[in-house]
Amino acid sequence: MIAPVVSLSEVWVTYRGGLGRPGIDAVKGASLEISASETLGLVGESGCGKSTLGKVCLGLVRPSLGEMLFCGERFGHLRKRRGQLAVVLQFPEWALNPRIRCGRSVEEPLVVLGAHPAERRRRVQAMLESVGLDGGFAERFPGQLSGGQRQRVAIARALITEPRFIVFDEAVSALDVSVQAQVLNLILDLQTQHGFGALFISHDLAATRYLSRRIAVMREGEIVEIGSRDQFYDRPEHPYSRSLLDADS
Amino acid sequence: MSALVEVRDLTIAYDSIDRSVLALDGAELTIEAGESLAIVGESGSGKSTLGMAIGRLLPPEARRLNGDLIYEGRSVFAAGDEEVRSLRRDKLGFIFQSPMTALDPTMRVGRQVALAAGGRPEIADIAALLERAELSDPERIMRSFPHQLSGGMAQRVVIAMAIARGQRLVIADEPTASLDASIRDRVMATLSRLRRENSASLAIFSHDLRMVGRHADRIAVMYAGRVVETGPSAHVLRFPAHPYTRALMAGAVDGARRGVRLEPIPGAPPVVTARAENCAFAPRCSARQSLCFERRPETRRVHDRIVACHFAERVLAQHHVGINEPSA
Repeated sequence: MIAPVVSLSEVWVTYRGGLGRPGIDAVKGASLEISASETLGLVGESGCGKSTLGKVCLGLVRPSLGEMLFCGERFGHLRKRRGQLAVVLQFPEWALNPRIRCGRSVEEPLVVLGAHPAERRRRVQAMLESVGLDGGFAERFPGQLSGGQRQRVAIARALITEPRFIVFDEAVSALDVSVQAQVLNLILDLQTQHGFGALFISHDLAATRYLSRRIAVMREGEIVEIGSRDQFYDRPEHPYSRSLLDADS
Repeated sequence: MSALVEVRDLTIAYDSIDRSVLALDGAELTIEAGESLAIVGESGSGKSTLGMAIGRLLPPEARRLNGDLIYEGRSVFAAGDEEVRSLRRDKLGFIFQSPMTALDPTMRVGRQVALAAGGRPEIADIAALLERAELSDPERIMRSFPHQLSGGMAQRVVIAMAIARGQRLVIADEPTASLDASIRDRVMATLSRLRRENSASLAIFSHDLRMVGRHADRIAVMYAGRVVETGPSAHVLRFPAHPYTRALMAGAVDGARRGVRLEPIPGAPPVVTARAENCAFAPRCSARQSLCFERRPETRRVHDRIVACHFAERVLAQHHVGINEPSA
């Protein structure tokens, strides 16, 4: 059997408190598995620990307790995982340097990996095309693009190294309804093409449901329910998931 | 019902160094007394400009080229300084996307609400006002600074301030977009209830179609600076008469049915630099004809709608793709 791309077992994350203050358990005993070509949705209110869990999956936060495995192995040093992981954030402005042309921004991860310049140019062109931007966008600055186009560039940058795992943290929340649909469809298509595993973090149940095969619901640091997408179209079991669904529909 | 606000052929341009862009291109809209009206559209469609124009709160680079905006029978643009001040203070309540930027971070909540209410209100009155906005423990909230409140609580404080003087019209610009999904509906419900109790009008500017469908009596859809469709919200969402409304619904993820791929609107909204002499949506429209590129569709009445489309009857008759429609 192929090992899942990311697996967490009984992960706890405790943020240390200041002098004389108790620490905070941001994640309490979370277990989950994400396989290649699969998207796991993660929903919950703000402050419930979604983003912390995302950071654990990216190896940016070490679990205080429990274990995180990447492709069946221990995560090891971040440097070793270069190009294997990526993240797309809520605001593409956070991922793109405003003073660097978009093409260069997309190319940068390849420079870090030490790819050959001719190879880099070829791959940047191909990647921009596959996110639906023609080659001319490489010469533009992020400020000359619309929000949806910028998010496409950010996704191109995340995908350029063909990572095995991507975290989308509120990646469509700041976009307009119609642009949201374009970006969601883009993520679906690229996943079919590249086969990466993904964690889609959002407080928007509708978008999560559209994109994910399975959905995990988090509340106060605990995963209270993991179920198939269908369950979230019909009737979720946990009362908290139900209240999320009611709030949304 | 009589019209509280009338927007007549309003055209507003933003000037920059090298060009001027039309934010509103002959927008037509009425807000009746006591109704809740939602104005929806993509960003850049001109909804915020329209909202701000009601309080004459447009930035200095905005220029009115044509048309007028009438509040209770008087032109907002012709009003003197004192009249505008009284309009903003006594007749309009504003609710913005982020409550944290609407509240003064250096002032305790109680004092801010007292200022909004005007005169010298008793502490008990302020507490009662906060209680009406469904804030429990109002004494504690009055002593707090804004940063000590959660986003939902802060937005409720802003709502309380927006109705404190019995304003006739509350303008809410994306009132729940910055809030958590699980409390959005409750905050909207509070806002709707208070509006009804005061029999005030509410104008919600939003792109959250589903929320709008539940809390607004009427919907106005904006595209490229024009109001392209207006009508009762349930009907507009279910049986759109303008191709843009229909495309907007087909692309909305919250209406997505299981296993059905979303259909985003192709292309991007146009940048309008001069009065459009054709239909601005035509290049992206699936029902376009040559006429759409030749003549500007004027707004006209079709059944219970006011639509700006040459072929509204055909669109309406075609098929009914609505957000709440079960799959066939």
